[in-house]
Amino acid sequence: MRLHEYEALDIFEQNRIPVPRRSVAADVYEALQAAGEIGYPVMLKAQVLVGGRGLAGGIRAAATPDDLKEAAETLLSSEIKGFPVRKILVCEKVEISRELYVGYTVDGYSGRPVIIACTEGGVRIEETVKNHPEKVASLHIDPSFGYYPYQARGLLKLLGLKQPLISAWSDVIGRLYNVASSYEALIAEINPLVVLPNGTLLAVDAVLEVDDSALSRIRHPLPDRIDRIENVLERRGREIGVSYVDLEGDIGIIASGAGLGMVSMDIIGKSGMKPANFLETGGGITADLLYKCMDLIMMKPELRAIFINVYGGINPIHEGAKGVVRYIHEHKVKLPIVAKALGNRQEETWEILRSGGVHVVTDTATEKAVEKLCEIVGQKAGQ
Amino acid sequence: MSILMDDTTRVIVQGITGRIGSIQTKWMLEYGTKVVGGITPGKGGTIVEGVPVFDSVADAVKETGANASVFFVPAAFVLDAFLETVDAGIRFIVVIPEHIPVADVMKMRSYAAERGVFALGPTTPGILAPGIGKMGIMPASLFAPGRVGIISRSGTLSYEFAGLLSQIGIGQSTVVGMGADPVILRNLPDILERFEKDDGTDAVIVVGEVGGEQEEKAAGYIARQMTKPVACYIAGRYSPPGKRMGHAGAIVRGTSGTVEGKESALRAAGVTVLESPKEVTVWARRHKLS
Repeated sequence: MRLHEYEALDIFEQNRIPVPRRSVAADVYEALQAAGEIGYPVMLKAQVLVGGRGLAGGIRAAATPDDLKEAAETLLSSEIKGFPVRKILVCEKVEISRELYVGYTVDGYSGRPVIIACTEGGVRIEETVKNHPEKVASLHIDPSFGYYPYQARGLLKLLGLKQPLISAWSDVIGRLYNVASSYEALIAEINPLVVLPNGTLLAVDAVLEVDDSALSRIRHPLPDRIDRIENVLERRGREIGVSYVDLEGDIGIIASGAGLGMVSMDIIGKSGMKPANFLETGGGITADLLYKCMDLIMMKPELRAIFINVYGGINPIHEGAKGVVRYIHEHKVKLPIVAKALGNRQEETWEILRSGGVHVVTDTATEKAVEKLCEIVGQKAGQ
Repeated sequence: MSILMDDTTRVIVQGITGRIGSIQTKWMLEYGTKVVGGITPGKGGTIVEGVPVFDSVADAVKETGANASVFFVPAAFVLDAFLETVDAGIRFIVVIPEHIPVADVMKMRSYAAERGVFALGPTTPGILAPGIGKMGIMPASLFAPGRVGIISRSGTLSYEFAGLLSQIGIGQSTVVGMGADPVILRNLPDILERFEKDDGTDAVIVVGEVGGEQEEKAAGYIARQMTKPVACYIAGRYSPPGKRMGHAGAIVRGTSGTVEGKESALRAAGVTVLESPKEVTVWARRHKLS
């Protein structure tokens, strides 16, 4: 779960990382009040859970109340990469003598946390990392022993830095590591970490993404995960315990694994059709779960057909089939449904599905099932 | 033969008294797996599916000579059970559950690596060696004995590829679910190495996914070390970038981990890149696999 910048800044501040004076505002009046207390000039920053906000116009400066009114109104009525801006953060505008970058993430391949430091922060950090490898250094951490300060000092020395910056920056790295480990972060990042004219550091931005699998044991208050999901259908998916991603097409998909779901999308996409959603149930399919999945994907009125691609795993697959057919009967579903269902008790499963008018494909190949789908919705395969 | 499992593999099931643990024990036994014991702390002395249950892994090892373990333990307790299992001397561990905190997985991985333990998962359907046994939840009806190795990030796609081959009479030596999490207990090149060294395997299929670096790193290993033919399929070409597709492993971050990037790295390593799963049958016939 990714936190908003204003939430992450609060957490950073509680962990003694220096952050700017700031206040979060949901309307222009609140923004004016906040700026009055902080003192002009201020920065206004859209609070959306998506990266690349700066380049997308989500950050504005305001030198006067009139400026602020205009900028706040614009931001609060805008969308950034499809995400509506509901809140803005009003921050003191500081004088910047230098911008640095520091981030914590999990390096999947080495299986260890990694801290990355770059002597040039800012919105173009990814280009900098690519074009100026000499400005970047990273440090892997032993997952059992954790981080020790000498590591950051060594890392920064490697970048050619000198005291007192090395000490000040090492302190920030240690505190960022504390945030990352106590919040079980997948990402904790400060970009930019600003050097003020007097040489002190200030984290003017904060990114924090928490490991969803660890939410129940993190001992700090956190926002509700389901409230975070903007899309109603995706929220409903989370509630019933499946991964649902809303897409723009008109073919509803139910798959019993992420890989199988992706392959279904790949082959459907290659055949010239467009998936309306991605839905992955995980291995524990029950009748009730597939009933709810049908209900979820049917919420989109533009649906033209449904494609079910499932394997029995933890449970035999005929249970799931019962849920699908019960839904078809109760809701008098007229849409064509193509299903490939394999695993324990598959023959019984096919009979159940056929009793609900489902087109059953008994071949193992997902391509065969998509061919059937093409035939039914009148699309030529391979288009 | 097979990799990681053979006739001498004696399996314990951790979490055997749970709903999933007990039914999966039944199916593993039906498939011919030598399940010699189960572990649930506090339930020692009971019997599940004819298998004795122990309070601790050390007890089970002592009483049964177990040398491998499969986990059906709730995610929150996996780290504890894993350390116990390593300490009890078990050298092959398959961690089936999903939603294990990544901080725990990193600790498990480093503990295992330091002690020479080979572990698979988490978020894996497990491993199945046709004709020998299975540790995990793979539906047995889709597999047939033969000489092709399969490694898959996704559980369901391992079934799909094995099923496609079985359907045309080509069997598998071993089918391995490497796990779908961003951090897994053993990286792809280590599993490929086992297949390269296995006399019972003639060729290997890698079923990968968008995101992460496993396939790119595997390409390096294949170019340097592998003599056997390798085919791969990378799922996720039509997945919208930046959206979570079920497992966190499948997040596209920038340009690294894209389908195109993986395919070109693998192609450069001499791997046959399959455009669709069904092409695996054409590839298998071309290499006269059995």
